[in-house]
Amino acid sequence: MKKKLSEMDYGEQGIVTEIEKGLQKRVAGMGIRVGKNLRMVTKQPIKGPFDVVVDEAETSLGLDMAGKITVEVTK
Amino acid sequence: MKILLMGHPNVGKSVFFNRLTGANVTESNYPGTTVDYTKGWMKIEGEDVEIVDVPGTFSLDPKDRAEEVAVAMLHENRDAKVISVIDASKIERGIYLALEIIEEGYPLVIALNMRDVAEDKNIVIDADRLERILGIPVVSTVAIAGEGIKELVSRLKEAKPVNVEDIIANAANASTTESVADAGGAA
Repeated sequence: MKKKLSEMDYGEQGIVTEIEKGLQKRVAGMGIRVGKNLRMVTKQPIKGPFDVVVDEAETSLGLDMAGKITVEVTK
Repeated sequence: MKILLMGHPNVGKSVFFNRLTGANVTESNYPGTTVDYTKGWMKIEGEDVEIVDVPGTFSLDPKDRAEEVAVAMLHENRDAKVISVIDASKIERGIYLALEIIEEGYPLVIALNMRDVAEDKNIVIDADRLERILGIPVVSTVAIAGEGIKELVSRLKEAKPVNVEDIIANAANASTTESVADAGGAA
């Protein structure tokens, strides 16, 4: 099932399928690219931030960024 | 000669800086501490070398003031060598930044720092193989324990600009030879 990274629940895991243009370069330096597997580890209520694990490394994203990343949830 | 220490925030650039220059500076992990950058001097084979502790940055696309400073410092020093300090447990994003710097034509040496932390996470990196792919020196280090620092310094002279196309070709080669070796092992 596809959903925005900001809609993922705690503990959910998925593969990045789409990143809005303009954001791609900004998150690439943090290891987030199309095809990457990521897992939601902490989700603060209301406006984030969202902490995800990519390649065993944690990174956090604000709500605006998380809303522009689409993930195919695998589990 | 001038050497820039570059890498993500909190990978150990300032520890390297202190190890290299012998400066007795108190460090803190508070984000943005190094926006006021520090520089110092050391002697390598009789030559005075200036070392600059550049603020941490995730990419050469600055997102905040500290990153702007980092990118500006890189661009102001076209003739500098770069020590790219990478957290070995988060190697991919570290390599991303290193490749960006390589693309701009800077001679680079990679310090795969925090080898001990990576090992705790069961991450073991084949530095020799990475070195063959990238065509530049790659040294595993544990900066707080002083491991690998001497080797890093001695290999600075091998730093040279590399063409990214060559790296791509090497990477493609490395993956095919690897699968051949695997097939041989299986047979």
